[in-house]
Amino acid sequence: MVTPRSFLRGLFVLIAAISIVSCSKDNAPSGGALSGDAAQRVYVAPGQKDEFYDFVSGGFSGQVAVYGLPSGRLFRVIPVFSVDPEKGWGFTEETKPMLNTSHGFIPWDDSHHPDLSQTGGVANGKWLFINGNNTPRIARIDLTDFRTKEIIEIPNSAGNHSSPFSTENSEYVVSGTRFSVPIPQEDVSITTYSEKFKGALTFVKVNQTSGAMDIDFQLLVPGFDYDLARAGKGPSHDWMFMSCYNTEKANTMKEINASQNDKDFIIAINWKKCAEIAASGKGTIMNVDYAHNVYDDAKQSATSTIKKSIRILTSEDIKGALYYMPTPKSPHGCDVDPSGELIVGGGKLATVIPVMSFSKMIKAIESGKSDKIIDGIPVLNYKDCLAGEVVRPGLGPLHTEFDGKGYAYTSMFVSSEIVKWSLKDFKVVDRVPTYYSIGHLGIPGGNSTKPWGKYLIAYNKITKDRYLPTGPELAQSAQLFDISGDKIKLLLDFPTIGEPHYAVACPADLIMKNSRKMYQLSENMHPYATKKESDTKVVRSGNEVHVYMTSIRSHFSPDNIEGVKVGDKVYWHVTNLEQDWDVPHGFAVYGAANSELLIMPGETCTMLWEPKQAGVFPFYCSDFCSALHQEMQGYVRVSNGGSGAMSWNKK
Amino acid sequence: MKSFTYSRLAVVAILVISSAWIGGCSSKDGDADDKTPSFAEDQQPKAVYGKIQKVDVGDAIDPSMAKAGKEIFETKCTACHKYDVRYVGPPLGKVTERRTPVYIMNMILDTETMIEKDDTVQCLVQTFLMKMPNQSVDEKDARNILEHLRTKPTEAK
Repeated sequence: MVTPRSFLRGLFVLIAAISIVSCSKDNAPSGGALSGDAAQRVYVAPGQKDEFYDFVSGGFSGQVAVYGLPSGRLFRVIPVFSVDPEKGWGFTEETKPMLNTSHGFIPWDDSHHPDLSQTGGVANGKWLFINGNNTPRIARIDLTDFRTKEIIEIPNSAGNHSSPFSTENSEYVVSGTRFSVPIPQEDVSITTYSEKFKGALTFVKVNQTSGAMDIDFQLLVPGFDYDLARAGKGPSHDWMFMSCYNTEKANTMKEINASQNDKDFIIAINWKKCAEIAASGKGTIMNVDYAHNVYDDAKQSATSTIKKSIRILTSEDIKGALYYMPTPKSPHGCDVDPSGELIVGGGKLATVIPVMSFSKMIKAIESGKSDKIIDGIPVLNYKDCLAGEVVRPGLGPLHTEFDGKGYAYTSMFVSSEIVKWSLKDFKVVDRVPTYYSIGHLGIPGGNSTKPWGKYLIAYNKITKDRYLPTGPELAQSAQLFDISGDKIKLLLDFPTIGEPHYAVACPADLIMKNSRKMYQLSENMHPYATKKESDTKVVRSGNEVHVYMTSIRSHFSPDNIEGVKVGDKVYWHVTNLEQDWDVPHGFAVYGAANSELLIMPGETCTMLWEPKQAGVFPFYCSDFCSALHQEMQGYVRVSNGGSGAMSWNKK
Repeated sequence: MKSFTYSRLAVVAILVISSAWIGGCSSKDGDADDKTPSFAEDQQPKAVYGKIQKVDVGDAIDPSMAKAGKEIFETKCTACHKYDVRYVGPPLGKVTERRTPVYIMNMILDTETMIEKDDTVQCLVQTFLMKMPNQSVDEKDARNILEHLRTKPTEAK
């Protein structure tokens, strides 16, 4: 409703905005004001589809959120490391094993960096990998059905931050520990950090056909904090680059004590060489416990295996495969340009953005010169490896992505802006403010050999006044920019779940053409599947009751069950007999202590229900399925005694 | 303002269309009671909707096709259809006597089009208040289901 007062207020704001714009030197949008065509650029009309998928990490939600670009619309939250009662993730008997670890079942983690599987350095649309920070793990999500299919725990790592960052053909995903710890773990004084603590850099091999992951080898390296990584590409294909800070080896007040050295390092790892050495049987086998959880598509169920050993390599075993490149100062981001020649360090406390040269690094290695050697790892000379520095870029450079047109874009956390600079002469050519305090940024394919340099998305750490307030806890936020022209233009703010830590985007066509619509009943090999109504039954085995149930619009079969006793463990195995797209059925039973089931067409899901009192209790479909959805219900009778003989209405 | 007027118009239009549609179904137009089969389509030519335009049906029932059709029918259809009584959908015991092979094939294979366009199906939706789901049956299996349904008039009570 436009009241005279609000009209006047609007007019005042408009005049003020015009006067601000006309005062600024270059007519750049200020205060987040937009150029006139921004709304058109992000408007995706009803029924139309977005141009890109954006897979955004859920940060401390532990999940992955799927958005469309340029609209910023949220399509799905994929449960990964945290339970999700809406989808039954971590509550159904089929998915509980996915969250098992060597510490038992863990319902939460903190997920930071998604990465798409690649062929030739370009996303191939098969899988999305993402790290779990707190209880170190890597997950693999299948992009045909947007579900987590595999989670592998990383032993000896104490904070899986520098992860998963795929190699050019997804030969490996990597895991570098943010926290060094005693390896193997032992009960020692924390002050023994500098002599006892070690860093673990783990290489997880990926099967190119199935996507299956397996730990191939782990490098034990000096006890620094390993932060972020990127694999080489093209000429640098065999190498992985990983930033590290706390080369001071401080164990307390790290914000001061780990910020003493002018330069820390990017560690360059020749993973190809390491893999060959590991394959030759070198190194040692260490006994460790780690969980490997795999979801079987045919059986529609996960299993968790605790594995017992890994291969450890030290600098002694892999001479000539590990080098430190000095990098100013406490580097965070470590990003490789599309050509594979330039490695950009985000020295978050540095006044420059250092750009290292792969070919110069190789020359420096070949010259045999090193400034010093740390635990058998040569430290190369900074100047010998340097391609150039971006001077006065702003404050707090963190992360860099590339547009494929000769420019790099670096996020500046402290000065809250994005800086565009040329890969040719390292000169800054443009900058825009972000609202507020940008962390990662992303360009579709911006970490690959072939970026789609049309949009850039800022993932911000602070939201403050950008949206309607919702109390102390605010929406997290991302911002979409147009980078198709010379100038970066703000197009859109959109809120996100959890913390939008990092994200990867790719053209929609790559994914949507393979998107699964349902599960074929004929391919359902779930041991408790019921594929036709006439096969439904209820079977007692001791105090376990197995209900073989089917659902179709709009009834359950059976829908009257008697013979359950207080203290029984009732397993509801519900198969959705629908064979059409977008017809899930839900299942909820009175007093269930876990979650609903949300069963896709052709799928079987299992809920464990342990009734605590006698009576007759309802169950119903919790996902609106048809005009007779409200009728989709039934009753189960629970008795205090009785024979326990089961009866049900047979179809 | 303009769009508001249009949307009002649209609502009116939908009301008009839907009342005409409801009015188009006479009380005998349903399969609710299997004893009163209606819509003798062979008596009056009817428009064909869906991707199947022609079905070759032999004089004699092909037993191997009927057997294969029975298996698919039991997996994908019996949760809603019995032969002799109304269930979620109409009984299918004598369906081949009151529906053409083309209708039956299209109902299985091109369910959405039939629901959208065929007036017989629209009347059935009003009676059963349930749109038949597309169960993703392929053409060969649909043909086998048709053959299986041909065996049913003799068995229905």
